[in-house]
Amino acid sequence: MARILFTVPPLTGHLNPALAVADRLASQGHSIAWAVHARQIGGKLPVQAQLYPVDPSEADVTCISLPTVRGIESVRLFFEDYMIPMARQVLAPLEEAVRDFCPDVMVVDHQMPAGALVARKFDVPWVTLVTTTASIQKMSPSLDAWVEEQFLELQTGYLPPDRIVARPDFSPYNVVVFSMESLMGTTHTRVDAPYSFVGPAHGLGRRFVEFPWQWLRPDSRKLLVSVGTVSRDGSNRFFEVMIEALRQLPDIQAVMVAPPELAENAPDNVLVCNYVPQLDLLDRVDGVICHAGHNTVCESLTRGLPLIVAPIRDDQPVIARQVIDAGAALFMRYGKVTPATAIKLIEELFATPSLALNAKRLGRALRAAPGAVQAADDILALTTSADALHRVA
Amino acid sequence: MSSHNDEILAIVIAKIRSTIQEDWIEDFEIGRETRFNDDLELESIEFVKIADAIQAHFGTDLDIAGWLSGKSIQQLIGLSVGDLTDFISGAPRAPKDR
Repeated sequence: MARILFTVPPLTGHLNPALAVADRLASQGHSIAWAVHARQIGGKLPVQAQLYPVDPSEADVTCISLPTVRGIESVRLFFEDYMIPMARQVLAPLEEAVRDFCPDVMVVDHQMPAGALVARKFDVPWVTLVTTTASIQKMSPSLDAWVEEQFLELQTGYLPPDRIVARPDFSPYNVVVFSMESLMGTTHTRVDAPYSFVGPAHGLGRRFVEFPWQWLRPDSRKLLVSVGTVSRDGSNRFFEVMIEALRQLPDIQAVMVAPPELAENAPDNVLVCNYVPQLDLLDRVDGVICHAGHNTVCESLTRGLPLIVAPIRDDQPVIARQVIDAGAALFMRYGKVTPATAIKLIEELFATPSLALNAKRLGRALRAAPGAVQAADDILALTTSADALHRVA
Repeated sequence: MSSHNDEILAIVIAKIRSTIQEDWIEDFEIGRETRFNDDLELESIEFVKIADAIQAHFGTDLDIAGWLSGKSIQQLIGLSVGDLTDFISGAPRAPKDR
């Protein structure tokens, strides 16, 4: 049986697919350990999970949080203020985890580059997990050069010079992508790497949340409006505009994931909820307005739902463009949209059959994708070839 | 500022409005300090469309793509209407405009 060490950043969207893969591997009898930020996500691991905390000391905790600006600046801050400093903090505890657990293979989230560096230093075969296809697209020459510069600085002084590469974050063995080539399109060139497109991880991440199911009328067209919990920028403007638009579309029912104080002003056809059982709700609605988070987009398309995408930051503009280009979504400008424009877009969403048709086409491909099962096989393939290598040596 | 520069600024602003074509932009005040990323929330694909419209207006001598590719990430983040206007002012004009 193989010994497999997972490391992911303390972000739910990255943890959930990894949990699904680990669950599959554990059910096959393999030995799994996690090197993660225990304070933030330790409680979300299976109870029997072997845990190596990589938390920084209390003094360092406050300096790293997710940036809250929008657009391209969020990409810069994600590297400079989040991913790279976090990588420096966790290199040492990650090394300890590797020395103690002696993994046959490491599974490293793409946004946990410390895991990639440790695997490279210790010659452990490793797989990269990519939870958003925006990560594997090349951007512009100057942006790509800037990214390489960030990684060069991170590697310098940690890896011997002959092991320093332009993009240490991509495994030379296998890069498992939780998306589909059919969704990604072919307009953008990718970073050169051995990709395995497995589709969404499915399963897990579903937790029980109370919801007044009787509120949904059988005769209405229904929308889910959600910009995620991490993406909310503290301003209620977007939600207020949606409420004003929906007030004038009384035949449409909308469930809006938003701060509860907005309920006061909402008309009868808008239900404001702080949390919703998103997957169960997606089974019941006809369309989605969202921030183009990779998970929400894949979950919606899996059910053949057309979308209106209002990207805010990080990878969202890229994912939004992918799903628009695939013909399954309309664009909404998050910080500028007016009630009049929102009404026009919602009407267009329901009046354009090609949007739903394309969403259904993508949905069929997503449902047929092997997901976590294939990811687990890809990881195991590495352990057997590594065994073979050791035998030869 | 020269009237030449003001004239180009007016064309840049007009191309921004006609490319975006959304209700809010009609009344949105656009000036030299307006930033494409922060203030206008432009997608990169829209910036390319605006650049194309401006190139079509002035002729093909503007290498906007080349100009952008020399910019650092910090410069791209802060890119303003004034920056684009100054670039066009300094670029050689196509013969048909003379």
